[in-house]
Order: sequence, then C-alpha cells, then structure tokens
Amino acid sequence: MNTSQKSKEDKEDSYTRRDFLLTASIGGFSLLNTFKSGDIRSHSPVKTNVLRPPGAVCEDIFLSKCIRCGRCVEVCPYRAIKPLDIRYGVYAGSPLIHVLDIPCYLCMKCVHICPTGTLRPVAMKDVRMGLAVIDKHTCITWKGEALCRTCYNVCPFKEKAIHLDELRPVVDERYCTGCGICAHGCPVTNKEGLKGINIRPIYAFKSQR
Amino acid sequence: MKNKKRNKSYKWSNRRFLIQFGAFLLILIAPFLNYYLRINFVQGWYQSISIGRLWFVSPLEGLESILTSKLIYLPLLIGMALPILLALLLGRVFCAWICPISFLSELIDRLIRIFSKKRYRKDLIKLPKRLFWFSLIIEITLAMILGTPIFVFLSPPGLVGREIMMAVFFHTFVLEGIVVFIVLGLHMLTRRFFCRYLCPLGALLGIIGAKRRLVVIHNPSICNRCGMCKNACPLDLNPTKGDSLSAYCWNCGECIDVCKKRALDFYWAELRVKPLCNTSLHQVQNDTQPLDESR
Repeated sequence: MNTSQKSKEDKEDSYTRRDFLLTASIGGFSLLNTFKSGDIRSHSPVKTNVLRPPGAVCEDIFLSKCIRCGRCVEVCPYRAIKPLDIRYGVYAGSPLIHVLDIPCYLCMKCVHICPTGTLRPVAMKDVRMGLAVIDKHTCITWKGEALCRTCYNVCPFKEKAIHLDELRPVVDERYCTGCGICAHGCPVTNKEGLKGINIRPIYAFKSQR
Repeated sequence: MKNKKRNKSYKWSNRRFLIQFGAFLLILIAPFLNYYLRINFVQGWYQSISIGRLWFVSPLEGLESILTSKLIYLPLLIGMALPILLALLLGRVFCAWICPISFLSELIDRLIRIFSKKRYRKDLIKLPKRLFWFSLIIEITLAMILGTPIFVFLSPPGLVGREIMMAVFFHTFVLEGIVVFIVLGLHMLTRRFFCRYLCPLGALLGIIGAKRRLVVIHNPSICNRCGMCKNACPLDLNPTKGDSLSAYCWNCGECIDVCKKRALDFYWAELRVKPLCNTSLHQVQNDTQPLDESR
C-alpha cells in the first residue's frame, strides 16, 4: 500500500523526470545495441524515404566520420536537412532528409561545405542518395486507373531518370539520383504511408571501401 | 593608493569577457543570418565553424573522426591545423577566451557578483587534477571501442551552438542540451568543475599546449605570498608554485588581475622555461620579454 502511494506521488510530481529517464534509457539502449550487434544496418535511421544528404559516405562509416557540426543543416536553402536528437542514441546530431516532407532539390551546397568528407563533393548528376522504385500496386497509372505522370514531370532528370513507357513511368537506375522530388510529388499514399514511387536507400548500405 | 586602484581594474578579466562575448555573439547571430537572410558567410559553431572560406574544426572532434573512421580527409586536417597551431603557441586559450561554456560560466559569475560582495566562490567539490587527462584517454578509448565518436554529440560547447541553431531553424530544443545545464550546475558547486576535471577537449588542447609560448610567470622576489592568485584561479592552480607553467593553466589572466604586487604577468617565452624557483629567475627574465611594458 505504501509503495503504491509513493509511486502515485512520483507520477504526479516528477513527470518530466520520468520522461527524461525514459528517453535517456532509450538512448542508452541504442548505444548498447551498437555495441552489441556491430551491424549498424539493423537500427540505422536511414530507411525508405528517409535518406542521408547527397554525397554521403556509406552508412557504416557515416557515423564515425560525421562530427555533427550542423553546417549542412544551416546551409540547406530548402531546410530539407534535419539533425537527429539524442533519442537516436549515437545517431544524435547526424543529418537526415525526409523526402516526403521536403525533398532534396540538388542545389549541392551541403556537399561543398562538409569539413570531414562525410558528404563528398560530388557533381549533381553523380548523387546517389537512393533509388526511386515504383510500387506498381499503388501507382494509379500502373494500375490503369488514371493517367498521372507527376513523377515524370517533376523529375530533375526528366527523360533520363524517369521516362514514359506506353504512358507509364519507368525509372532508369543509371540516372536516378534519389533526390526524392518524385516521391514528394506523388499524389497517392498507400496504407503503409508509402507513395506510388518511393526512394530506397540501396546505396547507403553498400560498402564503399 | 595606486595599488588599490589597479586592483580594481580587472583588465584581463574584462578583456577576456569581451572576447568571449564576441565569440558567443558570432554563434548566436550566425544561425539568424543563415535562416532569415540566407547569408552563409558564417556557418556552424565551435565544433566546426567557417568564416567565408576559412574553416576551423575542433581538434578533438577531428581526431575522433579520424580515429573511428580510420580514414584521413585532407580538408579536415587543414581545418584542424589552425586551432592546433593556436594551442601550440598560446595553450588552452580556446577554453578560457572563446568557449561558449566559459562565457556562460563567466556570465553566471558576473550575475552572482551583483548580489554578493565576494568575488570568488569557494569550491565545494575537489577532485584530483589528474582526472583531466584520464577523461581524454577514457573518451578516446570508448569512442574507438564503440566505433562511433561520442564527444561530437555530447560536447557542451558544441551543444550550446546546436541548441541555438535548433531554436532558430526548427523552433525547438534538443534534449541533449541538458548536458549544458548539468555542466553549468556543476559550475555552481565548484568553479569550472567540468572544464577542470572532465573536459576531454580541454585536456587535448592542454597536451598540445604543454610547451606553449605564452605563459604566466611568477616573480617570487616581488611576491608577498598573499595567496590571492590561488584564490582567483578558476582552475584551482597555484601560480606561486609554478602551476601557471603546467599544462593545466589556460592563460585566462585572472591571477594577474588580482595580484596587488604585480608579481605575475604574461610572458612570451622564447625558450621553454622550467618551473620557477628563486635561482632560475634571472635566466627567465633574460629569456623573456614582458608583453605589456606600459605598466
């Protein structure tokens, strides 16, 4: 009885402390996870439509190279790059682009100011943030419901990265930079919150060494 | 009468506060310029800051990045070169003169001074000074074991900059900013507790600046052993025992300000000076020139 009373008091008094402890323990666990499994891929925040900025090195050395100086965040004119916080453990402070919120418009400012070489100074056409993949069960053009070609229209490498094959969009992986403008523009969303065309970060987990 | 007047001037302390304030203003204004006016002339904070095409990278962050990724990137080394050169010549002056944590601590001290007459607070917790070096060793070892740098997202001076940037850019604060408040809270118990015992960046700069040129030199023939300098030192060093020549000293000049007898001053050491004792004083005075001859 005594303990329940105490816990009740705790609940009322120290909501912020509990909140903090919870977040801190999540952070601690993710730190432990890195320590335990060595494979960064399993808990990397990089996933479909959540990408590293252009020119980024692969994910297994990204974390060790990036010094979280935040200069790419400050320089991005579209505010596409956002830093993570401590809830992501050792990923705290590292930059990410949520292409469904704001995609990368490939202005190439961030790659030239990175002091550590985490974002390498690559040319616009050589950016490989990911690869756009059309979900043929979601895309209304592929399903034959309508003649939408938003992704084709917004693509900065129109006719190269996305071309129309019998009025249906097709991605060419030789030219797709994974900027995410197509996913951002896609009007349909399926049950899982994915679009008709999504950016898969296939290059982030390919070792470049 | 003259002595009393000089004692009240606090020349170095005021100069230092002015420079700290300027350095803080730089990282305070830069995000606003970047966000609202889109002027990218100054970016970043004291983890990596660029002024035009001039880049600085904090040595410890750069070292961590090199050690954990095991890759060397030339622009990173060039960015680290200037801060390292500064530390080689002037010692830990980044800590005392530029670091935003130093500025905030100083600001708190100055605010307290409005209400209390005592200029220097007593230290409530004292730890062995050597802990300072262990913090650096532990930090680097841990970073290498984990394979990810740690100081880069938990460094208090870096977090001050990140919090300002987050506030301006995303109108929010990040949770790890608590570290800054912990550091300032510890400062309330013991002056510069974190800077003194725990800061790995300070330890690295201290090691780099162990043979620095700018040193505070104590002249025992003038000194009347009043002990004011030991009282004033934010790092709990004793300049009368040669501590000002050790790697711990960060050349803040607080002891020079309080010395009534002018037994302490900054010197530009042409040759490395050994810890002072009475016999070697002549040698020191021959080797060095006072920075400020107007006094």
